[in-house]
Amino acid sequence: MIGSRGRVTGTIGPGLVGEVLLNVRGGTEAFYAYPADPDETYSSGTQVLVVDFEPPRTVYVERWQPLSR
Amino acid sequence: MSLLEILLLSAGGVIVALLVIFGILRLLYKVAEPNEALIISGLGVRVDRADTADSLGFKIITGRGVNVLPGFQTARRLSLDTRGVNLQVSCVTKQGLPVTVRAVVIYKVGDDFASIANAARRFLDQQKGMNDTIHELFSGHLRSIVGGLTIEEMIHNRDALTGEVRQSSATEMIKLGLIVDSLQIQEIDDESGYILNLGKPHAAAIAASARIAEAQRDQEAAEVEQVSAAKKAAAVRESQIQQAGYQAEVDEARAKASQSGPLAEATARQEVVVQETRAAELEAALAEQRLQSQVRKPADAKAYDTRTTADAARDASIAKAQAEAKETELRAAADATRVKTAADAEAQATKARAEAMAGATRATGEAEAAAAKARGIAEAEAAKAKGLAEAESARAKGLAEADAIKARAAALAENQEAVVAQQLAERWPEIVEAGASAFGNVDHMVVLNGADGMSDMFAKALSLGGTGLGLARQLMDAMGKPAEKELDESSRRNGELKLSD
Repeated sequence: MIGSRGRVTGTIGPGLVGEVLLNVRGGTEAFYAYPADPDETYSSGTQVLVVDFEPPRTVYVERWQPLSR
Repeated sequence: MSLLEILLLSAGGVIVALLVIFGILRLLYKVAEPNEALIISGLGVRVDRADTADSLGFKIITGRGVNVLPGFQTARRLSLDTRGVNLQVSCVTKQGLPVTVRAVVIYKVGDDFASIANAARRFLDQQKGMNDTIHELFSGHLRSIVGGLTIEEMIHNRDALTGEVRQSSATEMIKLGLIVDSLQIQEIDDESGYILNLGKPHAAAIAASARIAEAQRDQEAAEVEQVSAAKKAAAVRESQIQQAGYQAEVDEARAKASQSGPLAEATARQEVVVQETRAAELEAALAEQRLQSQVRKPADAKAYDTRTTADAARDASIAKAQAEAKETELRAAADATRVKTAADAEAQATKARAEAMAGATRATGEAEAAAAKARGIAEAEAAKAKGLAEAESARAKGLAEADAIKARAAALAENQEAVVAQQLAERWPEIVEAGASAFGNVDHMVVLNGADGMSDMFAKALSLGGTGLGLARQLMDAMGKPAEKELDESSRRNGELKLSD
């Protein structure tokens, strides 16, 4: 789960419960998401990297940094 | 019993045994469908996962099959299908408006083993009653969700709604091992009429704009209709005008056509009358011609004949009388003339004779006198003329000499040499004479070449003498003094007439 790349489907930010769509178990599932850095805000459509996982359905994400950038 | 039969029986027994074993295994083998999870508990259930090692100890099978020992193990199926619950909740919005909301919650058991384990522990025997639980749960949650939203956000902002749903239900759903796929608000019953009134301004604006548009279109349509009607009327007017024009032309043509018959008839009749008139004129002319030729011309001829005859007779008699009178007159005149002519001739002869005699006498006398007179006059004139001529001659000579002297004096004053030459020329005879003295010893000289020979000889003699022009000058000087003396005398006697030269 950690290291997966996903897309934000509900705004992630302080005081919010965000949502990330991830490819897991041969399908896509939505996970509750929180920012790894508590002050960051990721709006819908942002690509994020899962850096921590809290079973059963909670992930912590940070912004995806493409290598080319 | 043959060997073959033994073999066949044993083979059939094996097949039956195999079939029995397969049937038994088939009864024992449980397969988990994709939409379900097998929860197996009982004898010898191994739990591989470390994190669930201290749990209640059951086995979760998804997507594959497992053998279950009857009597020692139990396999229960937990459906992972989606479930839906209808909700109807009376709640209050963020603005404090009471509304009744009807909604649908779509949820399912989570696909991970933790969620399945949670859900299995809570709902395995009451999967039918899961909807009631969720209904109760979400009725409360929906109140909190609706209380966090305005009606506008509920209607329009789906993102805000889902965010609120997650916010309010996340932890509880995790506890239950469920996930909410969707919360749909189907209907909002608004007792206060807020939604109705919310739409009214927009509806009124839409209605107004619709009416305006309708009115504008109606106006445009009416204008177009009016323009069309006006054009139609104009077209009708044009058409009628043209029809009237064509009708007038048709009437005119018809009138012309109807009049053309009588007109043609009148014209024809006129032609007939004209031709008849012409025929009558021709007949009259013919009658006149006939009269002329048959009556008048013979009468005229006869009258002319009579008149000509009478005229001829009269002229003849007149001429005869005139001739006689003329003859008589001429005869008398001839007689008178003959007498008179004879008398005149006689008188003339006499007179002429007398005049001739007188004239002869007088002429003789006059001639003599005139001759004498003329002779005298002629003599006198001759004498006079002679004297005059002599006097003139003398005078002219004197004058000429005086002029010559004067001219010589003037020339001397101007050119000595020329005068010398002149003097030499004038004194040439004396010079020659003096020169000839050189020939004094010559007794007899024959000059063969005439005058030219003479002059040549003189010139030669003069040049031979060695004196040349010096001799001449000498001679001239010798003679110059008497010449000057003579010049003085001639100038003194300039005014006198010298007739002796």
